Amino acid sequence: MTGTRGRRIATREPAGLAPRTRPVNPIRPSLGHGVGLRAPHYARWLETPPRVGFVEAVSENFFAPGGRPMAVLERVRRDVPVALHGVSLSIGSTDPLSETYLDRLASLARQVDPAIVSDHLCWGSHGGRYVHDLWPMPFTEESLAHVVARVGRVQERLGRRILLENVSSYAEFTLSTIPEWEFLSEVAARSGCGILLDVNNVYVSARNHGFDAHAYLAAIPPERVGQIHLAGFSDRGTHLLDTHDAPVASDVWDLYREAIARLGPVPTLVEWDDHIPTLDRLLEESARAAEAEREVLGSAPVPAARPGKVHTA
Amino acid sequence: MKLAEIQARFHALATGDSVGAPPAAGLLRGGPGLGPDERAAVYAGMYDARLADVLAADFPRLAAMLGHERMHGLAEAYARAHPSDDPDIGRFGRHLASWLREHSAPDRPDLADLAELEWARSEVLVEADATPASRADLAALGAEGFAAASLRFVPALRLVRVEHDAAAVWRALEAGGPAPPPARRAASIAVWRNGFDVVHAELPAAEAAAFLAARRGSPLGDVLAALEGPGAAEAGFAMLASWLDEGWVEGVSPAGPRR
Repeated sequence: MTGTRGRRIATREPAGLAPRTRPVNPIRPSLGHGVGLRAPHYARWLETPPRVGFVEAVSENFFAPGGRPMAVLERVRRDVPVALHGVSLSIGSTDPLSETYLDRLASLARQVDPAIVSDHLCWGSHGGRYVHDLWPMPFTEESLAHVVARVGRVQERLGRRILLENVSSYAEFTLSTIPEWEFLSEVAARSGCGILLDVNNVYVSARNHGFDAHAYLAAIPPERVGQIHLAGFSDRGTHLLDTHDAPVASDVWDLYREAIARLGPVPTLVEWDDHIPTLDRLLEESARAAEAEREVLGSAPVPAARPGKVHTA
Repeated sequence: MKLAEIQARFHALATGDSVGAPPAAGLLRGGPGLGPDERAAVYAGMYDARLADVLAADFPRLAAMLGHERMHGLAEAYARAHPSDDPDIGRFGRHLASWLREHSAPDRPDLADLAELEWARSEVLVEADATPASRADLAALGAEGFAAASLRFVPALRLVRVEHDAAAVWRALEAGGPAPPPARRAASIAVWRNGFDVVHAELPAAEAAAFLAARRGSPLGDVLAALEGPGAAEAGFAMLASWLDEGWVEGVSPAGPRR
């Protein structure tokens, strides 16, 4: 099934919704292939940090001011570009944006000077209550205007462009009128934000809802894609669950190659957040992404992960 | 239906607040493999599991003592009483100890104390770094300035007051053994960071009282004068030295605390 449920929408920029100041940082910095900064690997990062293109840190894990997590991040960022990836911005919620959250994120961004700041196209709070999950948006014109306006405020507050990631979903709203890929593209076009394209999430949602993952990729504007995520999922029989606890599935690798063929080289990260393997195993998975990029594009990719290599710069 | 109403209905379905709420059918589409109610249930299951997981991570000894099923039930009840109101999921458990005091388990009246200790450890783990003062900073005050001086403590330091022997329970669970039976015994436990590692130790009652007075900004002369018994002066100086050596003291203010 292809994405024909909703009508197509024109790309436009209504007065009053666009940010007053266009962010100037590039959507797609040249970073190569990276890995997530996760607690089980902290000792290794402090002792013999591997060579990687970039490291992605979950923003909220570093909101606390001190201790080992911040020391590790400070150590890592001396040698490796950092991407900050948030999970609680709740950009699509009808709750007010949390000033406390934005203060913490802005403070962390000043401290870390990240190459990328990202979060998710979703909502995760209602009535002042946080659910700490990435709930899907109803894809309507009202939602679109709401998200675009809030992205503008966030980008102004941070003084930089952000990327928004498509989430895995298990439910669609009856009132949705716009295909997800059009909604995501339109948010980026109107707000000036970039897209963090999670290829695994495209695959999981496509299977769960019966849409065509290839059509999704084909509809995403290449110039707006700043980063790619890959991850493993769990097959629960009736649906796929985005569990980040397994290697990337072969179908997702195929979809990644398809994406790279269309997008060119994109900073790519393999997420692995549960049953976390050794850092070397994670680096192998990241190196596999670099190899896939090389296969597709036919040239040596920009810095890729090298398992076990001690960084000496 | 406006966005706010859609989100209110979905929130009710996915957090278990859906008693009396309209069914998922009008809100969510069915599709391959799952109907609307089953799709809402996927989110409801993840909501419960995520909050239970984060409590188990922040209260690992409590989780070990209760086991998965009981900890999960406790997390669900706690989440209903204290839904997360902070975008940082690491703050979700901050009311657990006080909630457990109001909902004491008959077989384990020490749960709240263990939770209090574990939460202090969790907070101290990521508190702001500080450069500790040294004995030399105290010595530099001289005999005349010492009595009027006060101490400023590092952020990564807590004093936990318990009514049961939570430290013994924590120790047994840390060693991988079963929790000893609850034992009623009031104690004050200091929790601090040694490098990146969190440590805790029970303080004698007199030292705990002295610490609280010093943390309030009392002059050192008053702090030491409150110690009683033979050898109180020597014990007081040894106590101050140990606070400095453990890295508890961030600064020494010559005359009263900085405001």
